[in-house]
Formats: sequence, C-alpha cells, structure tokens
Amino acid sequence: MKGKRLLLTVFCMLAVMLLTSCWNSRELNEMAIVTGMGIDKAPDKDEYRVTFQIVNPSSTATSMGASTGQPTITVYSATDRTLFGALRKTSKKAARQLFFAHTQLVVIGEDMARSGIDDIFDVFERSHELRLNATVLVSRGDDANSIMKILLPIESLPAMGLVKKVRNTAAIWGENRDITIFELINGITGEGEVVISGIRVIGDKEEGKKKANLEQTEVKAIPAISGLGVFKKGKLVTWLEGSEAKGVLWVQNKIDQTTVNIDTEGSEASVAVDINYSKTAINVELREGVPVFHVHIQEEGKISETRGFMDLSNGDEIAKLEEQLAKQTKEAAIRSIQAAQRLESDIFDFGNELKRLRPKEWEAVKEDWSSLFAQGKLDVRVEAHIRGTGMRLKPYLQNKDESN
Amino acid sequence: MRKEVIGTNQLFAMIILFELGTAIVVPIGLESGHAVWLSILLALPGGVLLYLVYHDLSRQYPGLIISGYTRKILGRTIGWPLSLLYIPVFMFNGSRNLREAGDLLIAASYDRTPVFIINAIMVIAVMYILNKGLEVFARTAEIYLAVIFVLGFICSFVVIAAGLVDFKNLFPLHAADWRQAFRSAYPNIWIFPFGELVCITTVLPHLKESRLSGKTGVGAIVLSGILLCVTHAIEMSVLGEDVYHRATFPMYTTITLVNLANFIQRLDALVILTLIIGVFFKMTLYCYAAIAVTADLFKVQDTRKLAVPVGVVVLFSSFISAENYPRHMEEGGVFLRYILPVLCAVIPILLFIVHRIRKRFGLLR
Repeated sequence: MKGKRLLLTVFCMLAVMLLTSCWNSRELNEMAIVTGMGIDKAPDKDEYRVTFQIVNPSSTATSMGASTGQPTITVYSATDRTLFGALRKTSKKAARQLFFAHTQLVVIGEDMARSGIDDIFDVFERSHELRLNATVLVSRGDDANSIMKILLPIESLPAMGLVKKVRNTAAIWGENRDITIFELINGITGEGEVVISGIRVIGDKEEGKKKANLEQTEVKAIPAISGLGVFKKGKLVTWLEGSEAKGVLWVQNKIDQTTVNIDTEGSEASVAVDINYSKTAINVELREGVPVFHVHIQEEGKISETRGFMDLSNGDEIAKLEEQLAKQTKEAAIRSIQAAQRLESDIFDFGNELKRLRPKEWEAVKEDWSSLFAQGKLDVRVEAHIRGTGMRLKPYLQNKDESN
Repeated sequence: MRKEVIGTNQLFAMIILFELGTAIVVPIGLESGHAVWLSILLALPGGVLLYLVYHDLSRQYPGLIISGYTRKILGRTIGWPLSLLYIPVFMFNGSRNLREAGDLLIAASYDRTPVFIINAIMVIAVMYILNKGLEVFARTAEIYLAVIFVLGFICSFVVIAAGLVDFKNLFPLHAADWRQAFRSAYPNIWIFPFGELVCITTVLPHLKESRLSGKTGVGAIVLSGILLCVTHAIEMSVLGEDVYHRATFPMYTTITLVNLANFIQRLDALVILTLIIGVFFKMTLYCYAAIAVTADLFKVQDTRKLAVPVGVVVLFSSFISAENYPRHMEEGGVFLRYILPVLCAVIPILLFIVHRIRKRFGLLR
C-alpha cells in the first residue's frame, strides 16, 4: 500500500514535469523580434545579403521613464547562399535568437529584383515562423539595406510604418497595392506575371538613420511609396507610374478608393471625383488564335471639388461628367494594358483566366502566350456613375455667362 | 463483467470525430485538382452504402463484432485468420495517424521537441482513456464534438470574414475535372476517411438501441462528409490549387493568412487544437478496435489489460514505420491503394453477399 502511494507520487512528479510542456519554450527576453527583412544581392557574389530590422524593446516601451535614448530599432545583416543560412548566421552579431513571427515587411533591393526573385520565397512557405501575409516592396534606386535603416516620424517601428504607408495609399489613392508573399507565390506559380510596389527614399539617407533626424518638423529622409514594378519571368523590367499604375490596378480589380480629376469643356482636369466603389470583371477568349481581352469596369463616385462653375444640380451635367469619367478610366486601363503588352508581361492574370475558363484552348496557346498576349485585342467597357455632389449642389462661384 | 453501453448521441459524436480526425487537416484526394470538394461529395454516397453494409451485418448478428460474424459466416477455418488481419491493420493505421499528428505538430510549432515525446504524450492519453473503457471514451466524444464545432465555426467564420475566400479557385468545373474528381473519389476518398469506419463495427454491438444505429450512423456520415467538403472547399478557395497540393498542412496555412482588422490574427492554436482532438479520437477508436478484435479472437476476458500493449506497439510503429514524412506519405499511398480497400470494403461486402446467399438457401446453421 505504502509502495503504491510512493509510486503514485513519483508518477505525479514526473507528470508535472511533462505537463508544463516547456520543451520548446523561448522566453521573451531571449528573443529578438524581427519586424522587417531586406533582401539584397551581395556584391560580386551569388549570395543574398539579408538585413533584419529588430525591435529594441527598451525604447519602444510606452512609459516615458524607461526611455534609454536608443533608437527604436537596430539593424543586423549577414550574407549567405540561402536566406535561412543568413538568418542563422546573424547569431554571430545578435545577442538574442531572431524571432520571425512578427515580420510584416520584406523589402527586395532593386538589383536583386532585376536579377530575379523567383527563388527567394521558399523559406517563407516552409518556415512556420515567417508569415505568408508579410508585405513585399522593392526598394527603388537603392538597396534594401538602406531602407531598413531609416527611422520614421510618428511610427515608432519603421517596418510597420512602411506597411501602413502602402496600405494607406492603396486604400485611398490606388496607384500601389499591398502585395503579400502569398500573392507573389501564387503569381509565380500561375501563368501570369507579378507587380510589386516600389519604395524610394526621398532625401538624405545617411541622416535618416539618426534619431536626431526625428527631432525636427521636416525629416531629412522620408521613404515614400513610388511606382509599380512590373516583372517578367521573375525579373523586374520597368516601373509604371501615375495613371498607368492606376490603370493596372483597375484592370486587376484592386481599386478600393481613388480620385480622378476629370476634364470639362472649359478646362483640363478640373473636377475631382472620389471613386469609392469599383469592380472589374475580365474575360478572355480566343478568336482565330488571337486572344481578346474583355474588361468590364463598373465604378461609382461622388464629386468632391470643382474649380469652375458647373450647374451640378442639373442631371444632364452629371451625365456628361459620368461620360467623361468613363472615358478617362477607359483610357487609363487601355494605356496600362498596352504598356504591359509592349513588355510582353501578362500582369493581369489573363492567362490564368483563359486557363481556368477554357483549359483546352489554353493548352494550344500556352507555349507562346507572352507573344500572343502582346498581340491581344482589347475590349474595354466602363460604366461610371456619379452618385452625389457632397454637401452642396451648385458651387459658390457664379456662372460667368449669366452674370454678364 | 457488465456490458458497456453507449447511446446514439455518443455514437453520432464518435463517428463525426473519427471521420474528421486527420482528414480535415491533411490534403486528401491528391489527384483531383481544384475539385477536391466535389470528390468528397462524390465519395459520400459510397461511404454511406459501405456503412449500411457494416450496419446490416451487425444487425444480423447482434452482439458480435466484425471478427465474430466473420467466423460465423465464413466458418472458423477461414474466418479466424481473416479476422486476425484486422489487428495489425487497425494498429498500423492508428500509428499512421499518430505519426501524421506528431510530424505536423513539429513542422507547425514544436520544432525542437523530439517526435517521441509528442507521440508518447498522445499515446499515454489514449491508453488512459482505453483503460477507462468505451463508455468514458464515448462521453468524452460527446463533449469534444461540441468543442470541435465551436472551433470549426470560429475558424471558418474568421477566414470568410477576412475576405480570403475566392470562388475562382473552385469553379468552373469542366468535364475533365469531373472525371478527375470521380477518379480520386473512388477508391481513395471512399476508403479514407469513409471506409476506415470499419472500426466502428467493434462499437456497434454496444449501442443501447441497436435499431437506431443505421439512422444515426448515416446522419453522422452525411454531416461529416458535408463538413469535410466545406472545409476543404474553403482551404482550396483560399490557398489555390498549387499551394493546397504542396502544403503538408493546408488548414494551418489557411489560418495563418487570417488578418482581421489587424487584430484577429495568429489563430494557429485553434487549428493545432483541432488536429490534436481529431487525431486523439481517431487513434483511440483504432486502438479500441484492435483491442476488441484481439480480445475476441484470443478470448481475453479483461479487455482493459490490452490497452497498454496496443498503445506501446502503436507508439513505436509510429516512428519505426517510416524514416521521414515524405516516405510516410509514400507508404500511405501504397497502404491506401492495396491494403485498406481489401479490409474496409472487399471483406465486409463479401461477408454481406455470402451471408445473403446462405440465408436465401437456408444454409445458415
């Protein structure tokens, strides 16, 4: 009886040791939390140079007292043939093991992007720590390393700040979009090509590294989202800007909200229309071996500003503006498709769509799809609606013709 | 010893948890392209018919489990060795589930914990509950069914609410897709997970109201088939065909993509919990079936004594059977193609036919 009780006690003790299940435990103070990664080509070698932006926990604490005067982040980099090798090699420099579950941003250097990005994402899929919904950007005219070092005003963690920037502009301006690793992998494995938003440092990037830079109203270096990088066979070929970039997103059905300045009879781009709903349907078919791309855009918006007199209480005037809006949207869409056709880069997933809807026809054309894509005919239809004029109907400006 | 009795609700819960088990987390029907959800629906009627065969045999021989009526129908000389085959297969299948769970847990979060420790902890739980008996197991199943439903509801809700579902990945279905879906439905999905229910034949005699076993079982199978179909359709629609087929653990990848308002994210724990619960019930039922058949064939009075030996064999065969996960999957393919169909479908259907013939011609002793 006594022996049995003893045995039970021992068993319970052993069970207690197992039940804490801390075999895999890693304490918070043993981790270096990585918020962003920059991937560059190592100079003169076929290796990656990987830069990690790491949170400095003591200076991000919300209580003012704990502030140490250090910047909120620190940066380590390492070079290796594989990304995983580089991230483990960083242990030589870092006092804590890198922890990747909070990595929200991956910046790819322009050189890297031009020499090909197809093979870099495997580790993101395979690892359980790295997240597939991290945002990807291409550093424009610069290496990713220098982007990772720049401190931002307002946002204490620069990687998060950059992610917020791209999301912000994607949501209301619509020339760029937040593209995740997951989308890129799907783009690479699919039949089309990918686009990635660019980021460019405006100003002096050496100053941008310093904390002192933040102690002024206008910082000396500010990273800004700039352009949409078009890839072909995994290599960056060109940047699209302005309305061409917007047109790309329009055709891809990724416009959330955007603004279009439309022309009126008298003056150019003088009425601002705030588009707050947009939907695009695409369809692809083959006619005598040549693809025809049907793009159907529906958009709705309201008038936000007008620079001259216009009788906005008159439904016919609104109808004219709607027509003009549709025309300008159509032009932007066509320009962007033609730009992609010049590059022979199917960034609109037309190939995927053809494969999905008409797999047999796709089989016949898949070999030389990129040249067929370039010859493809366009059929763009736009339905534009203006639903409101804001808080006023007529503007306060008087109609010159009447006052005379 | 008192005969253990379970209720219809408990049987219902057991069947659903068993069906969902591993099938809900691992990619199934690998040959069916984006129409995997369709192949599950196509395999469902087959699964129901197969269950009706098991159900009918058990109704014809009340109180007997599969090894019992095999001997009655085919005679002792053929029936005994044939029933003996079920023991290693049940145990091996249980060990395969354990292996899958262990490997997925290591890949997904316990990267530095030895597989032995993870598997051993799960097997200890299984041995414990088998030692407590079928009634306890059935009651646990009833409780965990609710847990699984809640988890499943939360997971599907957040995935849909996060706007990740893209129906383009599911449609359209061309004639070739239907053919492919049908090919992967029969026999693959028909056998795994539906045919695996052959283990439930060891539980059916314990049902309090045995006349309800048909209705309950069919209900449970249809519901679990629909749940599987919806879950895999969601996974496929979120991940796309390519990622779905390359993923070892598509459900986990799906949930990691959720980011609802920058606030609801990293819900991986829910999926890990689903995996552990599902595998626990599936493995326990396999072990229970192995124990029941062993006890019946070798006339062991106290079945609980067999819990530890069966558990230990399952634990060790779980990692001896394959040196790595790809090998394990390869073995699974062979096992699913050549061995399981014989035991899950061919033998029961044969028994059913032989039984009918003997009854017809009055050859029943």
